Amino acid sequence: MILALGLSILFALTIGIFAARNRRAEGVILPLLDIFQSIPILGFFPFVIVGIYGAIPNAIGANLAVIVLIFTSMSWNIAFGVYEAVKAIPRDYADLLDMSSASGWQRTKSLYIPASLSRIAYNTQTSWAVGLFFLVASEIIAVGSTAVPVTYGIGIGATTFYSSGDFTNYTLLIVGLILAVVVWRFVFLREFALWSEKYKMMEEPREQHRDPIMRIYSWVNQRSISKLFLLTQGKGVNRFTSVISRFRRGIKYAVLIVLGFFFLLVLESVMKPGAVSLGHLPSVSTIGSVEGNVLYNLAASFVRIWYVYVIMVAIGLPLGIVISLNFRLYDTVSPILEVISSMPAPILLPAIVLIPILGHSGEGVAVIVIMLASIWYIIFNVMAGVRTLPAEIKELPRVFKVSRLSAWRNVYIPGALAGFVTGSITAIGGAWNALIIAEYFTVTNPKGTTTLLTQTGAGIGKVIVKATNSKPPDYLTLFLAVVSMTVLIVAFNLTVWRRVYHHVTKRYTYNR
Amino acid sequence: MPGSSTQLASGDPIITVENVSLDYFKEKEPLPVLVDVSLTAGKDELVAITGPSGCGKSTLLRIMGGLSKATAGTVKILNSEVTGPRNDITMVFQNFVLLPWRTSLENVLFGLSSRKDLTAEQKKEKAEKALEETGLMGFENVYPGELSGGMKQRVGVARALATDPEVMLMDEPFSSLDDLTAERLRKEIHELLINPSTSVKTVIMVSHNVEEIIELADKVVVLSQRPAHVVGEIRIDLPRPRNKKSEEFFTWVDKVYSFLS
Repeated sequence: MILALGLSILFALTIGIFAARNRRAEGVILPLLDIFQSIPILGFFPFVIVGIYGAIPNAIGANLAVIVLIFTSMSWNIAFGVYEAVKAIPRDYADLLDMSSASGWQRTKSLYIPASLSRIAYNTQTSWAVGLFFLVASEIIAVGSTAVPVTYGIGIGATTFYSSGDFTNYTLLIVGLILAVVVWRFVFLREFALWSEKYKMMEEPREQHRDPIMRIYSWVNQRSISKLFLLTQGKGVNRFTSVISRFRRGIKYAVLIVLGFFFLLVLESVMKPGAVSLGHLPSVSTIGSVEGNVLYNLAASFVRIWYVYVIMVAIGLPLGIVISLNFRLYDTVSPILEVISSMPAPILLPAIVLIPILGHSGEGVAVIVIMLASIWYIIFNVMAGVRTLPAEIKELPRVFKVSRLSAWRNVYIPGALAGFVTGSITAIGGAWNALIIAEYFTVTNPKGTTTLLTQTGAGIGKVIVKATNSKPPDYLTLFLAVVSMTVLIVAFNLTVWRRVYHHVTKRYTYNR
Repeated sequence: MPGSSTQLASGDPIITVENVSLDYFKEKEPLPVLVDVSLTAGKDELVAITGPSGCGKSTLLRIMGGLSKATAGTVKILNSEVTGPRNDITMVFQNFVLLPWRTSLENVLFGLSSRKDLTAEQKKEKAEKALEETGLMGFENVYPGELSGGMKQRVGVARALATDPEVMLMDEPFSSLDDLTAERLRKEIHELLINPSTSVKTVIMVSHNVEEIIELADKVVVLSQRPAHVVGEIRIDLPRPRNKKSEEFFTWVDKVYSFLS
């Protein structure tokens, strides 16, 4: 994990600095980063595993595959952080270096790296939670899909203990994980963040960043889809010309996506000759029927995500507002929420299955797991949104003696809206990832027998996991499932969310 | 509304601050902010409060508006004690504090939303009248984001006026406006507020701009550095309209400055 983190930071630095210093690179790298951020990485994991494990068929290969996945999940937002930090270095500093005719490496060492340190630190803190989720998830999937599993890891540990009925160890493991999370986040990462504070050159309000919630907020803000919108906004696409340009941009992204998949396909046929070779491409009718099945499951998942989203909103929005309006509550609750939120949902899944009533319904378990993985984005963003409102505006209802209902309707909810939309976009992104764990979950005990813990009636996550686990893996289904899921997500983001986001940031942000 | 304005003569005290003190507590150690501050603002007066930055001017204003509690002392309007925000006091903020998601008209209406005695129609009428008085005719359906700073502050004033306040508190109302805009708004504000057709009986304005104070105020209360106490109370007997270029004007400016340094 730490190896993956180190790799991520290195990668982020290279890509971020490169993108920020080179205009042409910027044009290519940024949209690519965006796409990589908004697709469900977990869906691609089986391909990665097969690719790497196929090349290095031993435990090292499997471990490498896991590292690659965590790396993938963590590096994008750090890269964005670096990019923004380097981009934001005041011109004067660059001029200074120009005048002292510094070399490229000197520049990097003396300006770019120090300037991006604080952003790296903050983004790392939050990347960590995401990485942990993927760590556990990927370990579990890896076990399911290959004969030689990754032998050590929390994910493995949890499922093995559980499947062999060793609940004491399972509980111990979770407690240990909580402790590790607390120590790591509040001691190590925070120290790193505080230390990097002195490398900060922008006049960002300091206390805002010390505040864990604000940190997550600024991180989520740089992330994925919201980033995409900000980019187009920054480039001055205004309301009147945007219809056309949006359309064009859409095509551009679509082409990029198709190219990406084509590349994957080629990569795979090279890595694993015989699996997908031009010689026996599946017939059109096979594709048709598989695709039909895939689409049906995709629709089921789509519906599932939305009703879980409604539940999350009903809980997250009021909760976030209530917490952030009360200072004392905020101070006590936010670190607790932070720890809970960084507990990876997959590891808790076996425990959830044990809950009476819920445990017997695959749907119930799926709902809980999806919520555990993504409700935090909504809560934290709402909290940060309310916190960033000026104190005076929160006091307005008092000054004009407005009723509580009216205060919520006119001040608090609209005030939280911008954060809420950002949170929603990220939460739904997280939910798609969580689906892959939530809809179909098996554990394998040391003897090699696999037990099915939970499954839903239908769902794209189930399709993906089943296709991965079948022997030999059903690549056609897997491929179609991942492609259609990604297309759906990206299309939905580009059409619906972007519009909502534009509207909300235009009207519902407070800048006097 | 308590009291009836007909019986009050110009200059009769409307709001009285009596021996107000405020301590902040830092690790149980009291940290005095305001020490024994007393002042009054009379009918048809505009009273300015000034002092070095960070001395607690705005805090004092918040106490007068019932938004903060004093450690000791009382604030009274006519004869009733201010214990919390009330309908006859209102506030205009330095940073306008408009709701960006509501139009000018809706922002003004928001100020009226606690008034149970008015129908929706009456509220709308009142709000429109206030917008008209502040020179915002035609901008009722515009969002704050599309208004200039000066216009935003006009909405702020309209929102305060519409509530029929007796006491109007203004916290550095012109200091986030550019010079020209502030100049124009200042010219109008005195006539707008101190005017028999409005409910406003007295105006209290926090400001650190001495020229602005001499231009607008009937009386200025000067506070010291923290912990703040009143170092001077100066009545400004300059006939209106006041000419900012006259020699007399500068004599007054100098006089106030002498208290500040």
